[in-house]
Amino acid sequence: MAHTLKAFGIMLATAALAAVIGLAPTTVLAEKPPIKIGFIHTMSGPISMYGITSAAGAKIAVDEINAAGGVMGRKLELIVRDDKISPEAGLREAKDLVLKDKVDFLAGTISSGVALAISGYALRAKKIYMINIAQSTRITEEKFNKYTFRFTTNATPYFGKGPALALAKTYKAKKIISLGYDYEMGKNSLKEFKDTYLKMVPDAKIIDELWVPLGSTDFTAHIAKMANSGADCFYLAGIYGGGELAFTKQAWSFGLYDKMKAVQPCAGDVETWGKVKQGDPYPKNALATCRYPFWAIKGEQNANFVKQIREMTGLWPSYGSMDAYIIMYAIKDAVTKAGTTDTEKVIKALETLKMNTFVGPVEMRAYDHQAMMPTWYGIMRFTPDLPFPHITDVGMLGAESYHTVEEIKKIRGK
Amino acid sequence: MVWFLIAAGLSIIFGTLKVLNLAHGSLYMLGSFCCYQVTVSLAGVPGNFWLAVLVAPLVVALVGGVIEVFLLRPIYKAEMIYQYILTFALVLIIAEACKMIWGTGYHSVKVPWPFQGSVGVFGLSFPIYNLFLIAMGPLVFIGLRTLINKTNLGRNIRAVTENREMANALGTNVPQVYTGVFMLGAWLAGLAGSLWPPVSVVMLGSDMAVVIDCFIIVVIGGLGSLAGAFVGALILGLTTAFGLYLIPKLAVAFGFILMIIILIIRPYGLMGEPE
Repeated sequence: MAHTLKAFGIMLATAALAAVIGLAPTTVLAEKPPIKIGFIHTMSGPISMYGITSAAGAKIAVDEINAAGGVMGRKLELIVRDDKISPEAGLREAKDLVLKDKVDFLAGTISSGVALAISGYALRAKKIYMINIAQSTRITEEKFNKYTFRFTTNATPYFGKGPALALAKTYKAKKIISLGYDYEMGKNSLKEFKDTYLKMVPDAKIIDELWVPLGSTDFTAHIAKMANSGADCFYLAGIYGGGELAFTKQAWSFGLYDKMKAVQPCAGDVETWGKVKQGDPYPKNALATCRYPFWAIKGEQNANFVKQIREMTGLWPSYGSMDAYIIMYAIKDAVTKAGTTDTEKVIKALETLKMNTFVGPVEMRAYDHQAMMPTWYGIMRFTPDLPFPHITDVGMLGAESYHTVEEIKKIRGK
Repeated sequence: MVWFLIAAGLSIIFGTLKVLNLAHGSLYMLGSFCCYQVTVSLAGVPGNFWLAVLVAPLVVALVGGVIEVFLLRPIYKAEMIYQYILTFALVLIIAEACKMIWGTGYHSVKVPWPFQGSVGVFGLSFPIYNLFLIAMGPLVFIGLRTLINKTNLGRNIRAVTENREMANALGTNVPQVYTGVFMLGAWLAGLAGSLWPPVSVVMLGSDMAVVIDCFIIVVIGGLGSLAGAFVGALILGLTTAFGLYLIPKLAVAFGFILMIIILIIRPYGLMGEPE
């Protein structure tokens, strides 16, 4: 008896959960079979807000498309799975989705490790995989395969090249001091930043490069050095998340933001700063990049999208949610154009895809299957509109902030 | 100066127990998470941070006690390598436990009353809380010296450190002293862990970042020497700061270079004694 009750309870809980995050398969009306999309994301654990908002973004698009009659008379069906930020779990779910659920497309995920695992499997299974968050340039550069498409920015526009372009358009600082975590991404970010910026502002100089061991949370000695360096601007290389929060707290208490301009590439996204309230330390007046400044994008469609995500999840819409929405429309457009769900034909259609989305025009680059998603930048401030610090005076960067095809050829050649 | 607290704990544990506790950074991290937990649970209660500073180190000391009695005690007689394996296992276990309880997110603790704001020092504004942290170093140092040199407990600790068999023969309860010293060391790590969050964030991975610096400190100062840990912390701090002014690009390496030099010319550390 107790056993049955327990089983019933689990069933009920699962059903409730499924209803909340949209796991419930959309009811199929027509005789034509649905186009199935396996959506793998981190749906549990501390960074699940990305997965939950992404799944919600995808669901909004799927519902809209189905309400408008589907794709060539076929409905879209979204199947959401949890990868628990583990490459093994992600790979297992991908296999299960392809072999058992017979999905036509794979999409999603945040961790580049998981994305690489799924991308490798997509190659073997000959299924199209569309990434909505994972940022590692490796996925589309060194480890490129033709089945994998990325509909989100990557580390190049976000950490290095984008901030350099933005700085050249705004503060035009002349004497820059950098502080970075001493690891591959820190070094790469600074190199990209330096190469791009010094070309655009030739009389500028990087007066010093400071490094801290990866994971260190004590920046006081470095902040003292930065404050006395005579620089008019500092740039953070590869310091994000917890390290960035710790740095900001210390830089704030030492008054560094009043002394010089700041470039903190990661500060623009709501995920890191969404919990920071007025009065708390924040990167005051820092120039930051952002992957979805939903507060600054005009248009009813964007406003509706934000409202729906808020209602469905109670969270702020992550850039992943916007990217997932666009991916569903990309599937619709590509399948319509190809006239079939045949993988090879859809790949051809995707490679020349041009879309008009509510964040602006998005074009797919055939060479590396990287969509030229825009990156936004702006100055970090508080405004009365939002409870957290966010970028203001927002500008947009496009294809110019990505590696060029020639640069990628060089990287792959190595 | 916060690093001194951790290094001091590491050092006295080694001095008395002859155990090199690789998990010392983990105890520090545990202290940070406990501090965060208390401030959150008592949000709105005035002085909640100071309560956390009282409670969190005690929790860590208790965890330290459990580790000593149930895990370390059975393997004192075994080879040194077993201690390394055991304490390294603890590093992994504590990190995973923190991950399970508090997740991989970042947590913040506000600068507590009455240390908000900053004062001007040589044209640079300096946070008052950092001044308080700097003052904590010498205070704890003096406190520990008094404890070890002036009290009965301290006499026992010194006796056991000096000659374990003799102390045992003279009626000192050696296992009890061991547990006490390990708990004291853990308490210091917990104290450091709960004092640090207001200037930083509480997050996973801080254990390893800290423990490496602390090993450099105790190697410079001399393993087992309290004064050595104090001097080592000062030297490492100054070297890093001066390194940043002289050759910023290589500042990351300065601590290690210093450690290598000291190991070559004085392998037992500045304040240590040759065996």
